[in-house]
Amino acid sequence: MKFSAPREDLLKLLQAVVGVVERRSTMPILSNVLLKVAGGKLSVTATDLEVELVADAPVDVEASGETTVPGRKLHDICRLLPDGTRVTATLSGNRMVIKGGRGRYTLATLSAGDFPVVDEMATRQTLQMPQQALQGLLQRTQFSMAQQDVRYYLNGLLLEAGTDGLQGLRAVATDGHRLALSEVGLSETPEAHRVIVPRKGILELNRLLHPEGDVLMMIGESHLRVEFDGLRMTSTLIDGQFPDYTRVIPLDPPNSVIADREQLHHALQRAAVLANDKLRGVRLELGENSAVIHANNPEQEEAVETVEVEYGGAELEIGFNVNYLLDALQHIEGDNVQVGLRDGDSSCLITGQGDSSTQYVVMPMRL
Amino acid sequence: MQEAWPRVIAHADMDAFYASVEQLDDPGLRGQPLLVGPRSDRGVVLTASYEARPFGVGSAMPMTRARRLCPQAVVVPPRFERYKAVSKRVMRVFADFSPAVEALSLDEAFLDMTGTGHIFGPPETFGARLKNAISEATGGLSASVGISATKYVAKVASGYSKPDGLTIVPPERAKQWLAPQPVAMLWGAGPKTQRRLAALGLATIGDVAAADRRWLASKLGKAGSHFHELAQAKDPRPVARSRTAKSIGSERTLASDVKSETEIAFQLRRAADAVGRRLRRNGYVARGVRVKLKRSDFRSLTRQRGLAEPTDVSEDLYRMAVALLPEFNDAGPFRLIGIAAYELDRRTEARQLHLGMGEGSRQQRLDAVLDQADERFGPGAVHRAGDLIRQSPIGPEVDLDFLLDDGD
Repeated sequence: MKFSAPREDLLKLLQAVVGVVERRSTMPILSNVLLKVAGGKLSVTATDLEVELVADAPVDVEASGETTVPGRKLHDICRLLPDGTRVTATLSGNRMVIKGGRGRYTLATLSAGDFPVVDEMATRQTLQMPQQALQGLLQRTQFSMAQQDVRYYLNGLLLEAGTDGLQGLRAVATDGHRLALSEVGLSETPEAHRVIVPRKGILELNRLLHPEGDVLMMIGESHLRVEFDGLRMTSTLIDGQFPDYTRVIPLDPPNSVIADREQLHHALQRAAVLANDKLRGVRLELGENSAVIHANNPEQEEAVETVEVEYGGAELEIGFNVNYLLDALQHIEGDNVQVGLRDGDSSCLITGQGDSSTQYVVMPMRL
Repeated sequence: MQEAWPRVIAHADMDAFYASVEQLDDPGLRGQPLLVGPRSDRGVVLTASYEARPFGVGSAMPMTRARRLCPQAVVVPPRFERYKAVSKRVMRVFADFSPAVEALSLDEAFLDMTGTGHIFGPPETFGARLKNAISEATGGLSASVGISATKYVAKVASGYSKPDGLTIVPPERAKQWLAPQPVAMLWGAGPKTQRRLAALGLATIGDVAAADRRWLASKLGKAGSHFHELAQAKDPRPVARSRTAKSIGSERTLASDVKSETEIAFQLRRAADAVGRRLRRNGYVARGVRVKLKRSDFRSLTRQRGLAEPTDVSEDLYRMAVALLPEFNDAGPFRLIGIAAYELDRRTEARQLHLGMGEGSRQQRLDAVLDQADERFGPGAVHRAGDLIRQSPIGPEVDLDFLLDDGD
């Protein structure tokens, strides 16, 4: 196996996949990337057994072949070589020799046959959509995914399409304290599918998507595959039952606040400076056309912000983890935001005014 | 005169600390009988203000009883974050006076003042300066200070004239000064030991000092010799640099090594129950869970992981422990199984509510019921049905708590 390519081309491939290369693993080969050279192309594969990433690009091929080399090391060498360097890689016995400029690097290899790859998956449904739409969907929901929760089915994002009357693709994430739901339209109505994609796959996907071009999404029995820009991500699916999230979205909360999204966002950001570092609690007092935000910390420092809002409901006092509110306000689109409340112990529903394509449900905090 | 003391040890104890902080922050509470504790009927008084004490109310008393004794008392729920912040200032004052400070809790510490006479003056002068500095740093809180040559006598001395007291007991008078104090003042003598001492006809520390050491040891075991030493005002323990609360754990050596997953899970369940109970009893929540397994070749293995949110719920600890098992990648057999909860925080009244997709609140109610049964009927009164058909461990439960109110 022998090929050569500009350092920039190699670096781009390696940067795309290096996120899933394991730093410490009980399986040494997972620290490696699989290099396959054939048909004028180099493809690079990395996996952590949960998420597999494959990137390919044309290179000058002198001899086809395949092997695996330490992923992070190859990535770092390419990253640190000067711009415009032409890199040549040659497999020689069980070593791979990388030459670039006046440098020469000899890397250890492991057999390509031992590298775990996802076998061809049976696709049940293929969806096509603009990359931008998918990325927007992920960005508006991914921050609500649980992290290392024992309720393993929450450590990922629910993707749902074609279920009762749903026109587009819906993403739902929840950590048990708050929930994010967002939808994007699809050109055709697909069959019904509900899959949970693990956290790692979602974070990698969001990192790799670009605002231009389309993306193909293939839903299989136990995998989800996404192809775009010469990249292919295949993620295992979480085998579990996502909770019935429709139950926790409040229907017609009786008290509704309309606020300028940016104003409310900034006022909360400022008040958050004096909120308790760990608890992050803020208190909201709603009165006629005004919302007063209170925050304080154990040092007895205090912040009070008054925001003009449209509100004609009952006087209400409610506490929140300010980070949950900030996350929601940051990702809602449009100038005005609508916050629906019942009382100080019930969940609130945050949406753009007159737009329910993205919804955030936040449970209050008893302060 | 100070030069004649072999060591100079001060014990400083904030007066009715939680209650005093509340009265400091809210002038409306000053001069009023005040109970710091949960507003609900469950739970106990954490601190009673001095105004409430003449009614017979004291800390650790069940809330219902305290309110019956002193119905006019104002009940304020604890704000541990705030107490911790004030405590930090107090501890900083201590650190200004001595490099060797051993904090026993948020409001109490030993200071080793040996050899500082030329800087801070004789004990009388130093004690007054310490009290002033505390008052200044906190905006008016008082402390009681005891000074002697041993930790034990210093501690008894600080409790001698509370509040706002300063008691100095020179080493040559220590034994004589201790003699009339009741045996309840013996460090480590709980109600049970006190009853046993009374049954032996020992009412005062002087009685204990005069008793024969071997006779005491034959009646009380090792504790007997220990009390005899204390009663002679002998206490060689040094002032230790403060430890902080790091973890609460429970582990057991099993009667026979276990291998099966159900057996291991069952032991984890028992450990999680014990750890959860101790967290709740001490008012802590944990941010992480560690599992310890000891193989039959005595090699210890541990795996740990942070929790999504701090908890004191036994079920949460158990579930995390079970989730950690595959990470051991070891089939056993194991001779010891244990769980520790680490990164402890004070439980606060503030609470993030749940969306209600899980059964979090149900588990909390279950814990509360089990804890009550435990308190009322003694440990082991309630068993999970699964326990009854399993083997029991041989080794006594090892209490891994090195629990103190921490200062981070």
